[in-house]
Amino acid sequence: MKLLSSIKKELILAARSFYFYIEIGFALIMLAVLLFAVPEHSGARSEEYLYLDLPPAAAKVLIDETLDEDIDGRPQETELKAEGAVYKALLFQTDERDIFLMESEAAAETMTKHKKAIGAVITMDKGELHYKYFLQGYESKRLKNLLLVLHAQDFDTLETRMNEQKVINVDSGHIPLNDRENAIPPLMAFSGSLMSMFIMAAYVSLDRQEGVIKAFAVTASPVSKYLISKMFVLMLTSVISGLIVVAPLMGTKINYALLLLLLLTTGVFASMLGLLTASFFQNITKAFGIIFLPMVLFMLPAIAYYIPGWDPVWVKLIPSYPMLQGFKEIISNGDAMYVLLVSAGFLAAGFVLFLITNNRFRKTLTV
Amino acid sequence: MISVKGLYHSYSKDDKYAVKNVSFEIPKGEIFGFLGPSGAGKSTTQGILTGLLSLQKGDVSVAGYDIKQIKQEMFNKIGMSFEQSNVYSKLTALENLKFYSRLFDVPTRDPKELIELVGLRGKENIRVGEFSKGMKHRLTFARSMINNPEMWFLDEPTTGLDPAIAANIKDIIREQNNKGITVFLTTHNMYIADELCDRVAFIIDGEIKLIDSPKNLKLRYGKRIVDVEYIDGSAKKKGSFSTVEQKDRDALASILHSKEILTMHTKEATLEEIFIKVTGRGLGVSEAS
Repeated sequence: MKLLSSIKKELILAARSFYFYIEIGFALIMLAVLLFAVPEHSGARSEEYLYLDLPPAAAKVLIDETLDEDIDGRPQETELKAEGAVYKALLFQTDERDIFLMESEAAAETMTKHKKAIGAVITMDKGELHYKYFLQGYESKRLKNLLLVLHAQDFDTLETRMNEQKVINVDSGHIPLNDRENAIPPLMAFSGSLMSMFIMAAYVSLDRQEGVIKAFAVTASPVSKYLISKMFVLMLTSVISGLIVVAPLMGTKINYALLLLLLLTTGVFASMLGLLTASFFQNITKAFGIIFLPMVLFMLPAIAYYIPGWDPVWVKLIPSYPMLQGFKEIISNGDAMYVLLVSAGFLAAGFVLFLITNNRFRKTLTV
Repeated sequence: MISVKGLYHSYSKDDKYAVKNVSFEIPKGEIFGFLGPSGAGKSTTQGILTGLLSLQKGDVSVAGYDIKQIKQEMFNKIGMSFEQSNVYSKLTALENLKFYSRLFDVPTRDPKELIELVGLRGKENIRVGEFSKGMKHRLTFARSMINNPEMWFLDEPTTGLDPAIAANIKDIIREQNNKGITVFLTTHNMYIADELCDRVAFIIDGEIKLIDSPKNLKLRYGKRIVDVEYIDGSAKKKGSFSTVEQKDRDALASILHSKEILTMHTKEATLEEIFIKVTGRGLGVSEAS
């Protein structure tokens, strides 16, 4: 009864405070960004802008070869706008690329610059094809070397050699996700942990400012119920915001029971960490400096997430690492046992933090 | 109802005591005033008695419970009205009281009745954030009665209230006391202490200097003088007469017998004057009573 009453009160307070709407709003913004700004395959499909400075016969040979790869076997006449000018182009669409055949070298160069893509001018000298590439300037040495190597031998030899190569994937744990799906785990982990931590600290600061913790402390309800009711609201917010992002993007493709479990257990952990942090400070302004430290620390695993080659052991010890990997397993329908273990770990850690926080609140927050 | 023996408390946990060697007893049904200026140790003592501050040294029992090991059930018997109003500003007055009423294991009072009692009728469904300071204070006061406390702690209960509302609050305190509720009243307002308290304690620099009833204190420290304004012939005259010395008593009797009396006042010492006399320090702020 006491706990239910506290939870009901916290829900009313959350509904009447803007922090609740910040988290929901943040989730909606993230959903909109993922739906409308992040393509499913941003890196897989490339655009190329070519100008063939060739005799008509040679140009026809190249165009015919390109047409063989075209999805419908026909080029599309199109107009491209860049820097206030309109350029006519022929578009060839293959499985992996959009190739625009431009009407001039200047047009190819302008479009390359405008679209931050790759451009090339193909010329012929003494019966041999020559390639001039337009790059953005930030491409790696590896890519530049690759382009040089590409033209060191004829295409037929290269293609034969490539087909003979045997490729073995040594990282069996690698789970292919499209770009949009790949962006979900960090959002879930960071909105869940960092936002929950910050919002919890804000909630407690408001309560301290109003002095209501003191009033609660002289009732027959233990402080633990105050903490649990706060945690419940944060967990609920975390689940709502999590589902706002995941459900429209993943539909019925994932295990929602596992998702809820991880959202709830990470919610317990993050809210307790926020409560513990808040217990050291009189108001949110004073807490800001310290809250930023774990926030920055918690962001580090995102680097390891996006750069798999950088994955030191110490990063794996940061709580947001297993959080992130757990959400990744769920989104990719991967290892359910890993998710269960991570959830159990966060629940246990949350419980320990709860004991410490409860003790601190009883001693420090009332006077 | 309250027993305090050899109470010490230091915030810095060294020998800089905010409260030192404080001892007193409050029997059931008494209104006990804890008088002292800001920083005297009133709030520290009250914090310890209500479990908000940990007991470092001394023996304290409240409503039959040892404060060394506070049991949650103790709070069913005590009520606390804070000096700084501390209610949820985003909840309405009614929501606030309903919420707190569910945090006790004993029958509680009807929130609407309490709201009406403190003069907030018609405001029950307004969010407290829209309340004036005085209204918030009255709601905080009302909340302290929600669990029908046997031991009632009141910290500056009339602070910030206009005289009419302050009078209403004092009436409520008297009514509750008449029902047998023990009151621990912390204040620096000598008027409210004088009007309400059966006994008062003067605390200064963490030490209790004196405990007695306001009446006894006035008898002990008052001047026992009567000021009289009377008509003598055609002239208006004034005189001060001791009620103790025989010569003055005779002179006063003569005036009363033969002259036309315009005004006559007994000149008692106020609690503040007594406090200054006893402690050598003032109480600080005076306010509407």
